[in-house]
Amino acid sequence: EVAYSQSTGQKEQLSRCLQRGIRRVQDLCKVLQLPTVFEETAVSYLQRALRHPSFHLVSLEKKELLGGCCVFVTCRQHNWPLTMGTICSLLYAKQEMFAGVYLSLQKELELSVPALSLADLVKTHLNSFRLFQHAADVPAPFVEDKEKMVARTMQIVELASETWLVTGRHPVPIVTAAAFLSWQSLRPAARLTCTLARFCKAAGVDLPPPAHLRLRELLQILLRMASQLAWLRVFKMDKKTVVKHIGDLLQHRIFLLKNAFCLEEEEEQRAAAPGERSPGSPPAAGGAAQEEGSPSGGKRRREGGPGPLLPPCLTNPRKRLRTAALSASDLAVTGDEPISDSEIEQYLRGPEEVRAFRKAKAW
Amino acid sequence: FKDDLSSSPQLFTPMSPYDVDLPIQTTEDVLFSSQFNQSKELSTDFSSVDLSFLPDVTQDNKEQNLSEDGCETQKELDGSLSRNGDSGIFMGESNFSYADATQPSPEVSGACLPLTPMTPMTPVTPASESSGIVPQLQNIVSTVNLACKLDLKNIALHARNAEYNPKRFAAVIMRIREPRTTALIFSSGKMVCTGAKSEEQSRLAARKYARVVQKLGFPAKFLDFKIQNMVGSCDVRFPIRLEGLVLTHQQFSSYEPELFPGLIYRMVKPRIVLLIFVSGKVVLTGAKERSEIYEAFENIYPILKGFKKAS
Repeated sequence: EVAYSQSTGQKEQLSRCLQRGIRRVQDLCKVLQLPTVFEETAVSYLQRALRHPSFHLVSLEKKELLGGCCVFVTCRQHNWPLTMGTICSLLYAKQEMFAGVYLSLQKELELSVPALSLADLVKTHLNSFRLFQHAADVPAPFVEDKEKMVARTMQIVELASETWLVTGRHPVPIVTAAAFLSWQSLRPAARLTCTLARFCKAAGVDLPPPAHLRLRELLQILLRMASQLAWLRVFKMDKKTVVKHIGDLLQHRIFLLKNAFCLEEEEEQRAAAPGERSPGSPPAAGGAAQEEGSPSGGKRRREGGPGPLLPPCLTNPRKRLRTAALSASDLAVTGDEPISDSEIEQYLRGPEEVRAFRKAKAW
Repeated sequence: FKDDLSSSPQLFTPMSPYDVDLPIQTTEDVLFSSQFNQSKELSTDFSSVDLSFLPDVTQDNKEQNLSEDGCETQKELDGSLSRNGDSGIFMGESNFSYADATQPSPEVSGACLPLTPMTPMTPVTPASESSGIVPQLQNIVSTVNLACKLDLKNIALHARNAEYNPKRFAAVIMRIREPRTTALIFSSGKMVCTGAKSEEQSRLAARKYARVVQKLGFPAKFLDFKIQNMVGSCDVRFPIRLEGLVLTHQQFSSYEPELFPGLIYRMVKPRIVLLIFVSGKVVLTGAKERSEIYEAFENIYPILKGFKKAS
C-alpha cells in the first residue's frame, strides 16, 4: 500500500529552495524572451548546483542568484549575447556577488562557457538604440538606417578585435564607441559636431565610462590606417576628419592593417631564419650576436615606418611597478640566521611608553 | 661565460641557454629552474625547537663569495655545493635562491656574467625547449603554531608594530621591517606570515615574530612551520589572444572580460592557478613548493607561444 502523498505530488519532493529557483528561472526566460529549451537547460543546471555541497549551504542571497547564473550560462552556451550587466539588473544583484556565484558555478559543475560573441552583442545592443525611427526628441539628421548602422558597427568592432582593443576589455563600451563612429561616418557633415555623450542621450542608451577611451583608441588605429591610404596622405588627418573616410578605411582594412603595422609574422620570419638552431649545439658567442642581429635588423627596417601592432597596455605602459629582483643579500637568507635581541627589542614598547599608550587608549 | 664552461666541464649538462627563438638580449638565466623538477627535499617541518640560537655556518662564506655586482662566478658554486651537501639539505634549495638572482633586468647589459648552470644531483633529461624565463616569486604565505594561548590585548599594548581591532578582525596584525612581512597572530597561538619573497625569508620572518611574542613573556614555540602558498609572476614578452586560448583550452580556462581582464587558467598538474593577461604577463599561484611554479610556467609557455603566432 502506497500513501497518496507518496505516489503523486512530484512537486512536494522538490525543496522549497529549488521550487523558488525554478520559478525565478522561468520568469527570467520569459522576460528575456528565450527559447523554451533554454529554460529546461537552466533548470537542470540549477538542480545540479543545489545538490552540490558547495551550493547547498550558501546564503539565501546567493541562492537567489543561482537561478540567474544558470540562465546566464545557458545563454552563453547557445551564443545568446546576454551580458552580466543585464542579468544583474534583472536580479537586482550586486555584480561582485553575481561574479562570485557565477565563477563557483562554472568551477564546481565544470561547465565550459564560451566567450561572449561580440557580433551577436552588436545586434542586440543596437536594438536598444532609438535612432532608427523618427521621433519628436530625435533631430532629423540623427536618424539612421538600422541595417547600415549594424553592418558598419560590426566592421568597426571586428577591426577593434583585430587590433587588440577588445582583449581583456569590457565588451559593451567597445560596441558603444563603435556604434558612435559608425553613425557619425554615415553622415559626417551633419554629425561630426555631435559628441559621444549627446549621441548616447539621443539614442536613449547609457554611456559607459570606458567608451571614451575606446573611442580614442579606435580613432588612433584609424589614423594609422589612413596614413597608408595613398589618396588620403595628401590630407592632414585628425580625429575629426578621419571619420569622413571610415567607409574607405573599412573597405581596405586588411591591406591597411598589414601596412600600417609591422605584424608579428614578419617579425618571426626575420628572427627565425638566422637564429634557427637545434638544441645541443654550442651556445657560441657568434650565435648570440646573430640572435641580436636579427631583431635589431628588423627594427632598422621598421624605424622609418610602421610600429608593431600591440595592445594599448603595452604601447602606453603605465608607470612600471615592477618589483626589483631580489638583491644578493636577500638571496643569501637561509632562514636560520641568528636573531639579535636588539633587533627584536626595537619592536617593543618601553614601560613609560606603555603607560602613555594605556592612558591614551584607556584599555 | 664561454670560458667558464670549458674550464670545468664536469659540472655541466650541456644545455644551451640560447635554444629558444626569443630574442634574448639580457642576462636572463635559463635552464636549471626547469630541470629541477625533483623538488627540494628540504624539510620545512622543523621540530619544536627554537632555532634562533643555531650559528649559521654557511652565512659568512656565502657573503664573501658573492661578487659586488651580485653575479656569481663558478667558484662559489663549487664551494656551496660541498657545504650544503654536508648539512644534508638538498643542494638545490639554497642555490635555487641564486637562480632568482639574475632576474632579467633589461638595464643590465652584457656586463654581468650570466649565472652558470650547476649539475643537478640526479641526472636530468634537459627540457627540449626551455622557455628561458624564470618566474619571480612575489609572495609567500606560511603558518606556524606558537603552541600557547596568547593575550592579544596585551600584545597590542606592549608591541609597537602591532595593530589590534577585535571588532574588525580577531587577530593581531604585526609587521617587521626585515624581511618585510606581515603576520596575523591569533589568540590560539596560531600565526600566519605573509609578504616574504622566498621560503627562507618567510621562515626567518616567522621566527622573528615568534621571538617578539616570546619577549613579551609568552612561552612561544615554533611548531609545524609550513609554507601554505607561493605566488610568482613573469612576462613572456609578447601579447596573447585570450579569446583564442579560452577556445582551445576551455576545460581549464575562464575568461570573462566583463569581470576581470585576465584569463584564469586552472592547471591540473601541477595544481596551480595562472592569471594570464593580454600583455603577456603571467601570475602563478597556489603552489606549496616553488618547483610547482616553475613547472606550471614551463607547461603554459608552449601553449602561449602558440597564440603568439595565431593573430
